[in-house]
Amino acid sequence: MTMRAYRKAAICAALLAGTMMTPAFAQTKTITGGFDVGPGGLQGNFNPMTAPAGYTWLSTYFAPLVTYDAGLTKLVPALATSWEISADKLSYAFKLAEETWHDGLKFTAADVKFTIELNKNPKAASLLSARLAAVDSVEVKDPRTVVVKLSRPDNALIVSLTKMMILPAHALAGIAPEDMAKNAMWSTKPIGTGPFKFVRYETDRFVELAANETYRGGKPKVDRLINRYFANAATAISALRAGEIQFTYVESDDVPTFKGNKDYTIIEGASYVANYIGFNNQVPLWSDIRVRQAVMHAIDRNAIIDSLYKGAAKKADCGYVEGSLIPKSLDEYAYDPAKATRLLKEAGWDKINGTKPISWITYYNNPLTANVMAAIQSMLAQVGINVVPRALDAAGYNGIVMSRTSNPADFPLVYAGLQNGPDPGTLNLGLNESQIPPVGQNFLQIRIPELNAALDAAVAETDQAKATTKYQDVCAVMNKTLPWGTMWVANRYGVASVKLRDFAWTPAPGGGPFAAAPEKWSIVP
Amino acid sequence: MADVPTAASAFPLAGLSRSPLQRALGRFFRNGAAIAGLLILVPVLLAVLTYPLWWRYAPNSIDLRALNSGPTAVHWLGTDGVGRDTLARLLQGGRISLLIASVSVAISLFVGFVVGALAAFGGRAVDSMVMRFVDLAMTLPPVILLLVLASITGTGILPTIFVISLLSWPVLSRMVRARLLELRERDFVVASRAFGAGLGHLLFRHALPNSLDILVVYASLQFANAILLEAGLSFLGMGIVPPEASWGNMLRAARSTVVLELHPMQWMPAGAALVATVLAINFIGDGLRDAFDPRTDLE
Amino acid sequence: MLGFYLKRLAAGLMMLIALSIMVFVLLRLAPGDPVDAYLNPLAPLSQAEMEALRQRLGLDQPWLVQYLAWLRAALGGDLGYSIDRAGVRVLPLLMERTGPTLLLMLTGLAMAIVLGIAAGVVGAVKRNSAIDVGLGVLAFLAISTPAFLNALLGLYVFAVVLRWAPSGGMLTPGAPFSLSDLLTHLILPASLLAIVYSALFMRYMRSSMIEVLNQDYLRTARAKGVDEFTVIVRHALRNAVLPVVTLIGSTIGVAIGGAIFIESVFDWPGMGLLMVKAVETRDYPVIMGATLLVGIGVILVNLLTDLAYGLVDPRIQVN
Repeated sequence: MTMRAYRKAAICAALLAGTMMTPAFAQTKTITGGFDVGPGGLQGNFNPMTAPAGYTWLSTYFAPLVTYDAGLTKLVPALATSWEISADKLSYAFKLAEETWHDGLKFTAADVKFTIELNKNPKAASLLSARLAAVDSVEVKDPRTVVVKLSRPDNALIVSLTKMMILPAHALAGIAPEDMAKNAMWSTKPIGTGPFKFVRYETDRFVELAANETYRGGKPKVDRLINRYFANAATAISALRAGEIQFTYVESDDVPTFKGNKDYTIIEGASYVANYIGFNNQVPLWSDIRVRQAVMHAIDRNAIIDSLYKGAAKKADCGYVEGSLIPKSLDEYAYDPAKATRLLKEAGWDKINGTKPISWITYYNNPLTANVMAAIQSMLAQVGINVVPRALDAAGYNGIVMSRTSNPADFPLVYAGLQNGPDPGTLNLGLNESQIPPVGQNFLQIRIPELNAALDAAVAETDQAKATTKYQDVCAVMNKTLPWGTMWVANRYGVASVKLRDFAWTPAPGGGPFAAAPEKWSIVP
Repeated sequence: MADVPTAASAFPLAGLSRSPLQRALGRFFRNGAAIAGLLILVPVLLAVLTYPLWWRYAPNSIDLRALNSGPTAVHWLGTDGVGRDTLARLLQGGRISLLIASVSVAISLFVGFVVGALAAFGGRAVDSMVMRFVDLAMTLPPVILLLVLASITGTGILPTIFVISLLSWPVLSRMVRARLLELRERDFVVASRAFGAGLGHLLFRHALPNSLDILVVYASLQFANAILLEAGLSFLGMGIVPPEASWGNMLRAARSTVVLELHPMQWMPAGAALVATVLAINFIGDGLRDAFDPRTDLE
Repeated sequence: MLGFYLKRLAAGLMMLIALSIMVFVLLRLAPGDPVDAYLNPLAPLSQAEMEALRQRLGLDQPWLVQYLAWLRAALGGDLGYSIDRAGVRVLPLLMERTGPTLLLMLTGLAMAIVLGIAAGVVGAVKRNSAIDVGLGVLAFLAISTPAFLNALLGLYVFAVVLRWAPSGGMLTPGAPFSLSDLLTHLILPASLLAIVYSALFMRYMRSSMIEVLNQDYLRTARAKGVDEFTVIVRHALRNAVLPVVTLIGSTIGVAIGGAIFIESVFDWPGMGLLMVKAVETRDYPVIMGATLLVGIGVILVNLLTDLAYGLVDPRIQVN
């Protein structure tokens, strides 16, 4: 044979050998899922300090001091085995677990002190820095005990701590806080204490974790965990149905595909996000309360819940739907277009706006919300309010609503959601006059003194039983004064393959965190 | 040569002398595929333009009690996820798609012709400058342009027309310029210029009639292209967004496996209408191209 | 000739600068900047924190300053860092994504060339037969169906229902690289991409082939006793393929931008998806870099095409 022929044969042989190589990883147990699909996830964010969402995945390799249980009802220990709050509420003592970092060094109280101080530092751009404002100092009593001292009582502190992932002082002390936010280290070699440790991140494609064999909760039952990124929920569902992943968040519209299919389990849970129509207080359109009442009466919320949400949502007449937080006599704002028209006439709607189009923006980009907004648009049109829905991407929405140069005329009406649980105090951020930017998130600039008082009282209340009553007051005031047109709290869904065993997941806002016990997850072939 | 039939002797002269336009039309109407195309397109146009007169549902009327219904006696093609009648949306979507396509074709025809002609007849310096400008328009990455424009202007009919025209005219200007460059060297044009003919005269008396075939063929193909482009844009979430109807955004619903599998009537009619219309236009365009080419008769 | 090339190169450079200015301005006009994109409406930063971040990214400076800084770096080959992906440099990111896009496009094109030319030849040789008409109809259908519809249906039928191919992505996540893995992921999107192109090539090939088949020199070859197969393949095909080659050349120019629909439906990690994500997150450096890259590609292709015009028809003095 000639040289040319030899070369050809060699190339052919190499190609053949290449195609015949079977991936050796087939022997290892791997769970693959779309853990960051949906509103609770955040693809591409690896810094737990700047993460508004994505906690489900972050909790597999990081851990906070305390977390919620899988039902999101109570706080349970995580890296803190127990904690004691002093009588004057100014001192929190945490006893810490025995654990080693993924690089072998021991986890100690010094790491907790480091983490709290880093989060408080404004240069680190942590989302928690405002929530840790009450912390005055952190003391390391011994390697297994840390005491956090406050300058004033703060009931929300323990809840804020659930979102604070503990970071290793020895690995991060050398990085300047202002370099933390977008540091490459987070996506290349982060070190945590969770049941899995970081292996690698293939840009925009997936994140791979390997089992942490020395985890204090026991060696994980699977060897690897892979979080696959998807451009949208639809591609994730295709992958789930094709058997390539074992779990993903699923839009409620897509759940019917899986109903009755014995290969999949549908997981349903409350979203803890109250959806509302936000009236921008800075434009004169909505100043008259009769106009806002008219909007509430014009919308047939029950019909929308029954038909579009297929019953999987709870009507909200204030910011809460949790039974214990609802007072006895609430105005249900029943569907009554005649009453709405009358109220608008009394308020002089024709002179306020008439049928001029009103821009109604949102950051929700899924088909369900598009349908919901179309339904509401049609209902409002029947009473003479002409809204024009417009879905923007996150950057566009934030640019219009939150920018310091934002023009109120650009967002006279919004459709948004705000977390209302498990800690009911979260609503304070969006409703209290004291939270108007630049301090907080009250972008609609709601200024209702009665509401401010109710919120302040509820948030400051330390006694659990009294707090519940105070929140009922908040609900009553919201219902009466209508800062928002509260709509509903919808359920959210995840679908898991039946091959997964002991898999815990709940559609928590922001992904949690909650005690999902990833070390117990297993997969049958 | 007497033995070889020439075009002249193939057609007896007496009483059958027709203008080039008439001959072209004749060729067009002898083309089976082109006729088929017309037979598809004309009814579609009629249906789409007149539907409010004979169909009782409006494309945006919501009926929450009749969601996702299959074809029934009242809703011939069923309803979508918010209870809107699919047939009404199909016809309205056709209106929007065809409107966008025709306006953007008209704009890009005008701009493309003028720019190409300017480049060809304006002299070397003008040619250089204009062609660099055309290159600039062609190098704009369409994806980036579309996405950024969508976020600035929002979605809707006008931005979509604007974007589609912007993307299409450079190609035509290059073709027109190539044809006119060739034309420029022909004797009658050289003569015309020697007599002092101005740019306007050259453009409308010589350039336009002689590029008519390019323009007609381009218009028909670009029309089909524009419909597909609008559908693609709406599919990606730009272009026309609900509650406005368009064939592209009706197909976007099929991204959800539920709609794809369980509610085929919500997207299949739009897909079928899209393919049929574009097919018809392609047949017609092909027929036009053959019609303008005298060599077709020799086959 | 050298003067001509230099002039075109200089013009090309001017154009890239003009392009970058246009995109720069457009981006600043769009609502929201990278910091806005980074926020979650449910848990935004305080305005002070946002300002600090903007300062770190240099976004609070006047537009001219920002642009000149970018330009100076770009001329030196430094396209900066991606804002959205921490610590990732733009140029390697673009290179990383150009590969998959080119792989997809070129594979699709290769399949289309083989299929299109073969079908075109068959159609021309067996003119007006059942095969020819059948192929013609298929070709028309192919170019009349939008790419995304093909992609959606193809994905559903072949990946979800039949499970013959994976439902997306380029490689199985977590698995070590293997050629067979890549090929199984590549074949479905590339085939769907090939559908439209093969129809186009087929039509041009067929009409070109018909013209060539009628030429005198072929009649001579047949009269000399050359067998039909050789006549078709060695003589006719060679000459008929020229216009198709020009067509192929211009389609490659489009290749760099990425087949956005196919990439979107199949989650293919190429330039198309990168640009969509970059605009969503207002990742200015990536968008500017991608614009530059695509711009360079298109300018090069245009230059080559213009040269080809001049070569083919000597009457056209390109300059």
